[in-house]
Amino acid sequence: MSDCEHIWKMTNIEFGFIAFEKCSHCQAVRTHFTVDEESGDEYREGDCLWSRVENAQSFRFDLQCTKCNLAVKYHDLMGLLYCTSCMEDCEVEKIQKECAARKTWILVAFGFLPAKKDKPFPPHKLEILTDYFNQRRDTTRSRMKIVSHDLIEKFSLCKGEFIHDRGMLSLEVPEERKPLL
Amino acid sequence: MTTQDLIEKIGLKALSKFDPREVDGVFVSDMLSDVMAGAQSGNLWVTVQVHKSIVPAANLVDVSAVVVTGGKEVPKDTVELATKHDIAILATDMASFELVGKLYNLGLVAK
Ligand SMILES: [Zn+2]
Ligand SMILES: [Zn+2]
Repeated sequence: MSDCEHIWKMTNIEFGFIAFEKCSHCQAVRTHFTVDEESGDEYREGDCLWSRVENAQSFRFDLQCTKCNLAVKYHDLMGLLYCTSCMEDCEVEKIQKECAARKTWILVAFGFLPAKKDKPFPPHKLEILTDYFNQRRDTTRSRMKIVSHDLIEKFSLCKGEFIHDRGMLSLEVPEERKPLL
Repeated sequence: MTTQDLIEKIGLKALSKFDPREVDGVFVSDMLSDVMAGAQSGNLWVTVQVHKSIVPAANLVDVSAVVVTGGKEVPKDTVELATKHDIAILATDMASFELVGKLYNLGLVAK
C-alpha cells in the first residue's frame, strides 16, 4: 500500500461518443464508447436486432497522481448522471437530500449498460473520482460526491439525466429523457 | 474580479440567485464534454447552451458563473436548478465573440 496522499489530474483525455443501442426483439438497451460516429444501421446478433437510438458526445480519461504517478483508468465509466428527484423513495434522492444540507452535491457514476444491480461501480474508483473533483474545487463553498448506479433501485423508472452532449449540436432544447430501459 | 464586478462592468443580466465569487479566467465552449474535461475552478464559462444539464456540468467543474450569450432564452428549470446549486447564470444579448473581447479588455484571459 502506498502512503502517498494522492493529488489527481485528468490525463489521456479522448473525445468520442457513447452509442446507445436498443434491441427491437427484447427491448434491451446497451451502450459502448467509440471514437467514430458510427452509422446506426440495424444488425442481428442471435435473436436480437440492434439499432442505434442515440449518439451522445462524451470523453474518456485516466486520473493520474501528480506525486507518485499512480494511474487509474476510467474506461469503464459511461458517464455521470444527475438525479432529477424523480422518485421520493430512491436511495440516491435520500442521500441527495441529506447531503444538500451540508452543501455536498451528488452525481451518479454509471458503468456501460446493461448496468447490473449487483455490480456497483468499483468503490475505490468512485473515491478517487470524488477526490479529484474536490481537490480542484473551492471546497469552502461546496463539495461533490460521486455514488454508484446500483443505488438506483428502479433503473427503468429513473428520469435522471446524463451530463452528455446529447442532441445538443442542434442547439435545440432536448425533450425530457424517456426512461432508459 | 468578482461576478458582481462583471455584471456591473459589462451589463450582464443575473438570472439565478447566487453568492458572488471571484472570477479566475474564461472558458468558451458549447460542449459539456469540453467543459468537464477542460474548464478550471473559478473560470467564467461562456456558452450558448441553455439546457439544464449545464448546471450539473458547471457545478462539477466549479466554474464561477455561466454566461449565456446571443440573447438566448434560458428555460425556467435551468434557472431554478442553478439557484438550488448556488450557480450563477448570467445572460447577455452580445454574441460570444463580442463578449469575449470585452472580457479580454478587462484583463480576463484563459487560465
Ligand atoms: Zn500518489
Ligand atoms: Zn434482444
